[in-house]
Amino acid sequence: MSAVGRVKLQGIVKRHGNVTALHGVDLEIAPGEFFALLGPSGSGKTTTLRILAGLENANEGRVHVDGADVTDVEPGERDVAMVFQSYALYPHMTVYDNIAFPLRMVGTAKSAIDSAVREAAAKVRIDHLLARRPGQLSGGQQQRCALARAIVRKPRLFLLDEPLSNLDAKLRLETRVELRKLQRSLDVTTVYVTHDQEEAMTIADRMAIFMEGRIVQVGTPDEVYARPASVDVAGFIGNPPMNLLPGRIAADRLHIGDHMVALGRDLGAEREVTVGLRPAALRAGPTGLPAKIDLIEHLGDTKLVICRAGESMVKMRVDKAASFRDGDDIRIGFDPGEIHLFERQSGRRL
Amino acid sequence: MARSSDRPTRERRERRFALVLFLPAFLVLAIGTTVPLFYLLWASLWRIDLSMPWLSGFAGLENYAKMAADPRFWNSLGLTVIYTGSTVVFQVVIGLGLALLVLRIPRGQAALRIAAIMPIVLAPVVVGMFWRTLVLPPDYGLLDLVTQALGLGSHNWLGDPQLALVSVITIHTWQWTPFSFLVILASLAALPPDVFEAARIDRANAWRRFIHITLPMIRPAIAIIVIMRMMVALSAFAAIFAATGGGPGTATEILNLYAYRTSFTDLNLGYGAALAVVLLAITLLVSFLMFRLRRAA
Ligand SMILES: Nc1ncnc2c1ncn2[C@@H]1O[C@H](COP(=O)(O)OP(=O)(O)OP(=O)(O)O)[C@@H](O)[C@H]1O
Ligand SMILES: [Mg+2]
Repeated sequence: MSAVGRVKLQGIVKRHGNVTALHGVDLEIAPGEFFALLGPSGSGKTTTLRILAGLENANEGRVHVDGADVTDVEPGERDVAMVFQSYALYPHMTVYDNIAFPLRMVGTAKSAIDSAVREAAAKVRIDHLLARRPGQLSGGQQQRCALARAIVRKPRLFLLDEPLSNLDAKLRLETRVELRKLQRSLDVTTVYVTHDQEEAMTIADRMAIFMEGRIVQVGTPDEVYARPASVDVAGFIGNPPMNLLPGRIAADRLHIGDHMVALGRDLGAEREVTVGLRPAALRAGPTGLPAKIDLIEHLGDTKLVICRAGESMVKMRVDKAASFRDGDDIRIGFDPGEIHLFERQSGRRL
Repeated sequence: MARSSDRPTRERRERRFALVLFLPAFLVLAIGTTVPLFYLLWASLWRIDLSMPWLSGFAGLENYAKMAADPRFWNSLGLTVIYTGSTVVFQVVIGLGLALLVLRIPRGQAALRIAAIMPIVLAPVVVGMFWRTLVLPPDYGLLDLVTQALGLGSHNWLGDPQLALVSVITIHTWQWTPFSFLVILASLAALPPDVFEAARIDRANAWRRFIHITLPMIRPAIAIIVIMRMMVALSAFAAIFAATGGGPGTATEILNLYAYRTSFTDLNLGYGAALAVVLLAITLLVSFLMFRLRRAA
């Protein structure tokens, strides 16, 4: 684990006129961590990253890197490197000059620049394209060029803003793996913005989930998947995300419509809740929640059975061999241990 | 078979029709520019001096040979180079400076853009008159009022030979800098902001961002401005004519004015035509070189 690249955001508030993009964000990232900022569009991920980079000033709050307060420090002085969603390559320079630029700006010796550029280009496998200009590269090659420009200087912090979003699905999957390997080999703290929960789940050591300018949960992908902190997170994580049904609890009993489940633990006074159930945790059986099949989606090695239970839609992931037909009446069963419960009003996990 | 045999005739008919459509424009162009051009070339080979008509006759290249030994020609050629070079440089440098400044002000850019158009839409002869009668006259001109108020004294801005050249260069720069300002402002505003942010993160300070990012990215716009403004400056006439008439003496007599004065004041049409041909040749050569340079870049 590397020793540098500890990040701490404290109470960051960012306003654009009367729009508040961030309402007090607190975050700590450990050295060497691959940290994802995940959230739906407009939730403030890019804003957080830009404040971390120093490209924007926060209205309130402090930014610390390695114990030093860098809130008012220029981006160039923060020793960070960034890959923009648009890549932001210098269009009039060759790939070589693009990668060399950060080194030239700090007055590195010519021979050292040359070997560093070639090494960085080789790492992302664009060493055969050094003489081209960005306009003559494919999207994936441009992305690699931006990556090479970021790693050439060996910064203490990598900031990546949706670097894969302009690539096609296949390349995205491949690059995701390579990016992860690259980060491991360089051992640099990396902050990675994405709105794709699957991307964040597969690539990150830990992640922060943003909703409307607030961090609603921080944790490892496993923690977030196993114990989403709120209904919003539950509805965002997983593919497809968990089913959310209205329910009511009284003592150790849960009622979903007319169906009743024994929870095995006492949750106190009677109240309204939202019940979360992962599609993969459901199975059709002799007992359970009554439902009618609307549609069956074939996903290759599994099937997604979409059915209607009372007022709600429920998705159930089943084996491809399972024989269901549209219009079948079924009963959906699940273990009490697979139930996620959220307070109806606040959306908080119980 | 039937189709392939009737296609050529139809094509021919269409081509003939296109020719008919094209002909009027061609004739106007020919009568308006090509014929006078050849007449000019032809006239430059003759001795046509209306003040001494008895000397008229075919002269061959005599007019061109005479130029080599004509100090007034060399003076006017030098002035043309100075006038063109300095006005183009000033227009680009001042226009760029203004555009960089204006880009920074958050409000009122639109008003400034409209104000910038004003000098451009004025006829150059009006601009020349305006400066001669309102700005530059000693004692009551605007500029003199300012210099006197600053304790720099009164100057004969158009009467003093050295000041007169500076004045006509200033007039041209004043009228046409807004053009380069507007073009550069538009291309600056179209630059992608994220590239500059990337450069900030890559530790390029403001000056280096300007040198390494801004300038190379607006280079095409600057190249076009330089080419266009050189062509215009080489053939500048009306503003100088209205402000100084080429004087005092020959202090502001650029090649274009010398050709005019030779032809229509001295009535030496043959020599005037030869001077005009030289100016034309220089203009063509410069534009050819500029376009070559631009393509090479
Ligand atoms: N310059 C600006 N002026 C006004 N509002 C802005 C500005 N920049 C961002 N915002 C607002 O701030 C909020 C957060 O924006 P941000 O770009 O951080 O979202 P994001 O999480 O990166 O979304 P996406 O996934 O779409 O990129 C949004 O509501 C956005 O409209
Ligand atoms: Mg964003």
